[in-house]
Amino acid sequence: MSEFKSNDGFSISRRSFLKTFGTSAAVAATAQMDAVAKELEKANAEKVLGPEPLPITLQINGKPMKVQVEPRTTLLDALRNHLPLTGSKEVCDRATCGACTVLLDDKPVYSCSMLAIEAQRRAITTIEGLAANGKLSKVQEAFIDKDALMCGYCTPGFVMSVTALLKANPHPTADEVRHACSGNLCRCGAYPGILQAALKAAGVSTTAKTEVISYARLA
Amino acid sequence: MKPFQYATALSPAGARELAGEDGAYLAGGNDLLALMKEYLVEPRILVNIKSLPGLNRVKPGAKVWTLGAGVTVAELEDHEGVKKVFPGLQQAAAEVGSRQIRNVATLGGNLAQHSRCWYYRHRDILCLKRGGDTCYARHGENKYHSLFTGNTCISPVVSNLSVALTALEATVLVQRGDEQKRMTLKELYARAWDNPTAHNSLEPGDLILAVEIPVRGGSSAYLQASEKSAFDWALVSCAVAGRVKGGTITGARIVLGAVSPMPYEAAAANDSLEGKSLDAETAARAADLVLARAHAQAQNGYKIPIARALIQRSLLQLKAQS
Amino acid sequence: MPGWPEKRVYIGSHTRRIDAPAKVTGAAKYTSDVQPEGWLYGMILRSKWAKAKITKIDLDKALKLPGIKAAVLAREGERTVRYYGEELAAVAGSTKQACLDALRAIEVEATELPFVVREDEAMGDSAPRVWEDSPNAAAPHVNEKGEVDKAFAECATVVEGSFSTPVQIHHPLETHGNTVSWADDGITCWASTQGITSVAEGLADNLNVPQSRIRVLSEFMGGGFGSKFGPGVEGGLAARLSRQAKAPVKLMLTRFDQSLAVGNRPSSFQKIKLGATADGILRAFELESYGTAGIGAGGSTAGGGGGAGFPAPYIYTVPNIRVKQSSVAVNAGSARAFRAPGHPPASFGMESIMDDLAVKLGMDPVEIRLKNDPSEVRRKEYRLAAERFGWKEKYKTPGSSPGPVKTGVGCAGATWGGGGRGTQAEAQINPDGSIEIRCGTQDLGTGTKTLIALIGADMLGLKPEQILVRIGDTRYPPSGGSGGSTTAASVSPAIHNVCTRALEELQKQTGIADARGENWMAACKKLGLNPLVVHGAWQEGLSSSGAGGVQFAEVEVDTDTGFVKVRKITCVQDGGLIVSQLTAESQVHGGILMGIGYALYEERIMDRQTGFVLNPNFETYKLAGLADAPEIDLVLLDMPERGVIGIGEPVTIPTAGAIANAVANAIGVRVGSLPITPQKVLAALGKDKLTTA
Repeated sequence: MSEFKSNDGFSISRRSFLKTFGTSAAVAATAQMDAVAKELEKANAEKVLGPEPLPITLQINGKPMKVQVEPRTTLLDALRNHLPLTGSKEVCDRATCGACTVLLDDKPVYSCSMLAIEAQRRAITTIEGLAANGKLSKVQEAFIDKDALMCGYCTPGFVMSVTALLKANPHPTADEVRHACSGNLCRCGAYPGILQAALKAAGVSTTAKTEVISYARLA
Repeated sequence: MKPFQYATALSPAGARELAGEDGAYLAGGNDLLALMKEYLVEPRILVNIKSLPGLNRVKPGAKVWTLGAGVTVAELEDHEGVKKVFPGLQQAAAEVGSRQIRNVATLGGNLAQHSRCWYYRHRDILCLKRGGDTCYARHGENKYHSLFTGNTCISPVVSNLSVALTALEATVLVQRGDEQKRMTLKELYARAWDNPTAHNSLEPGDLILAVEIPVRGGSSAYLQASEKSAFDWALVSCAVAGRVKGGTITGARIVLGAVSPMPYEAAAANDSLEGKSLDAETAARAADLVLARAHAQAQNGYKIPIARALIQRSLLQLKAQS
Repeated sequence: MPGWPEKRVYIGSHTRRIDAPAKVTGAAKYTSDVQPEGWLYGMILRSKWAKAKITKIDLDKALKLPGIKAAVLAREGERTVRYYGEELAAVAGSTKQACLDALRAIEVEATELPFVVREDEAMGDSAPRVWEDSPNAAAPHVNEKGEVDKAFAECATVVEGSFSTPVQIHHPLETHGNTVSWADDGITCWASTQGITSVAEGLADNLNVPQSRIRVLSEFMGGGFGSKFGPGVEGGLAARLSRQAKAPVKLMLTRFDQSLAVGNRPSSFQKIKLGATADGILRAFELESYGTAGIGAGGSTAGGGGGAGFPAPYIYTVPNIRVKQSSVAVNAGSARAFRAPGHPPASFGMESIMDDLAVKLGMDPVEIRLKNDPSEVRRKEYRLAAERFGWKEKYKTPGSSPGPVKTGVGCAGATWGGGGRGTQAEAQINPDGSIEIRCGTQDLGTGTKTLIALIGADMLGLKPEQILVRIGDTRYPPSGGSGGSTTAASVSPAIHNVCTRALEELQKQTGIADARGENWMAACKKLGLNPLVVHGAWQEGLSSSGAGGVQFAEVEVDTDTGFVKVRKITCVQDGGLIVSQLTAESQVHGGILMGIGYALYEERIMDRQTGFVLNPNFETYKLAGLADAPEIDLVLLDMPERGVIGIGEPVTIPTAGAIANAVANAIGVRVGSLPITPQKVLAALGKDKLTTA
């Protein structure tokens, strides 16, 4: 790739792809040709799209899914309103509550604050993809076991955040769970259960602090 | 959001061309999309700049580190080298939003984000910053607002990274037209100090390419105070940097965030510490000097004791880290 | 009628929530998730004025936009809107984007009118009137008993204080909304509601359609906390849009909408005077208070959400009292019932002044409560909680904790009615042994479905997973709205009854003496071809009302930054027969977390210049997060002889008072205003005005 050097060595590429590849070059679809295909894709990228709806393909839970959306359509909107994937919830639509959390290449992001068009070519995992084979994930099991939910509306987002945390850090401390889940809100207040569930899914045994005491036996 | 066009740029020149007069650059999108959802900005086209070459790189160096503007805040938070060489920057990055935000938020976007003033952000209020004629915060709800300003708007800068980078004496590399321009952090926000409608000194079409941080030896630290334990904006943030040897500090920089339209520092405070033993007393004296010109609004006087505490604590943390 | 089974395998157990798998996989379909064939997206246009005369609304341009299928006015003709966010019109279209564009294409002609949004200003004689024909401040409600002035004169100690509580917004995570399909044969409405029956009633009334033609469904709903009983204006609009578009319309509010128009907890400003004898016996109490419930009382708000009054002197009995409470209207959205309406502000003010009194008398705060609390149950709870909490070791003279980060402890008590009646249910037993229990109640996340399964299992000797629980459909036998902590006490006896009767009938038809447990399959098989369907209803003697509860809080207060961290809450809560321990625990946790939000973070902020809500979002309307959750030590006091009592509400009442007392204990001065923010802590410490050290 041709680069010119700024005086500190920071490199900026000129529009080299356009020079190297014609935009109408043959499509390279085989696995071996992936790299070329990618560059071709880039070469085509400076095309102006929209504002009308356009077809895009999203890789969701391992499957390509086609939707026709305007550039302004968020990923969350595409999932919920253009596809039947309503597990991710719209709660704030402003990147403050985490109910819309999905994984993008295994990293948690707010799907409400990302354009669907920008999520192309990324591996999107939604809550529906965690137990795709019918078997609940460890995190999902732990959420059930520790009753880490009440109304359940925040639950998909929390499950995704905890799932992402454990992928990156299989043995988190309680504080690391708090840090990883700070972008999710629960109005029912299931936090004690959520913390316990995350630790349980990470293999840490925790003990509940609840006791049932018979009133009749109280002094 | 109004309808818009979308394109991916492959070079700064391409980005500028595509964006034209009325487009916007799209990196992480956290701030831009939020502004667009409230119809506060209505770009004709969004130009994705995440594919610009070199933009996503952290390049360590013996004398200077170059952080591409497209590096995500999460990458800064997780970067072992950054943690070791610029702990204050790493600490500031870890306090940005939430993990979901940091995974997409970029260094450039963090620096260029707009005011969070709730009047500015309100879809149905045309405040001074948006081109109206009244700063509603001055006569209204101003507990989150500035203690220092050079103009009539009292909304503060909220970028955590700007505060840490100012203390680190970083330079911002900006593509302006065909030129690449270096700006100090102070220069990057100078216009916001003077001009109520400005969030920073960038011109339309300007593109932040990278941030360069000189390696000065010594250490850095960042602390912020918020209303909640996590995922909350800073009421006040404070970054410090300097070299502490044998308890004596040189080259001290104390910078406050969320109290002024630009990262705020007072040369007198920095100077007061030069060659002094860093202890509770000298730290307190420095804090007094930083805050000497603070002007409280009706509801934000409490930021002054918070700022004082954060300055003292971060200086002592700097000493402990050294 | 037999009582609850002596041998309880599942009732009172830690059995998993039965609908949890659906919730952790995203399979649970909430109202916001249903996608009936051809559904359209709906959105509401709201007033941009705190008060205005609306002279014209032109929908034509909106209707001509691509994708827009319907547009309706909230009300015909000239009208006055009285708060920022009041509904003006609604549109339905094939995408969210089309609706967004349409809202902006609607032209509204309006004349702005003077408004007032602050309670203190609204009280003034010259304030703009919210309602032209009546003053903003309603005539105060007065309650006087004994000889108050004389009693105060005779008191050894008198304390006075001013306390305030904010307008709190319910903010269930699933916003208010409905998906409505208006077809020729009737209306189907998926509602995010606490009362499917009340939604059906409301729609029938609003749309002039027989209730028999309206079916309301709510299998999963994302929280309500008192704000979701009727169809709301948004329900009526969705229905009318559906009729016009001839397609189902999903109209869920945005978070912005949610912050303005669908209820809140009224504010309170309380002046309290409390007098006691030298040994701490309460003798005289005086309260003058006001608060706002917005433009007026809410719609269908069973549970007392209408005004800004609250019980005083709350849980204490004082022989001489003078109480004067008023509600003042402001140009803001109406209040609605909110989890334990009236009680959290009542508890906060009263428990705060109790601690101030104890401090002045040099008494231990727990002691003074034991001396004055008329409830024997709660006195026992105080003793138990104090012991578990380590109160004696932790309680120090206020402000005596060393260093800048000070620790403090405090406690408070609560009471709530609960109880409930009226639910009906039916059971269908099939020859293959499967059983379905149907009940027209709804599960707000409290665990109603689980509770039905646990009771069914114990009554029939089965496992909970064998019981198919069907709720949330007006075609099932009716139950009431889920408010006032009445659902458990209303539903449980009906399930007991229907199971009892189903078992009797099964045994009668099959001649098997005891069809439970291992005989179940054999008995069912003998039914032959037709399933057995039995009806049951709520019965006396299996539930009761009245729950107490106490909470102790331990906090850390950073006196340099004003930051308050709740370290620990100890809660002892009575709730009769615990049906589902797991979901009861979660409910208590939730009540405490909401109480922490009320104590430290939550407040609707109105701008007096524009009349707008300044924080219609979760960025500045702050909810407690996971990192704000303390260690919680919980004791559920089991009182099976009292039958089932709900506990959803009492558990959120005392939290703020206990935290406020702990903060006062830590720093030695009282922060009398919720939420206790760094700003207020530093102000109480006299630090907020300092410019240099």
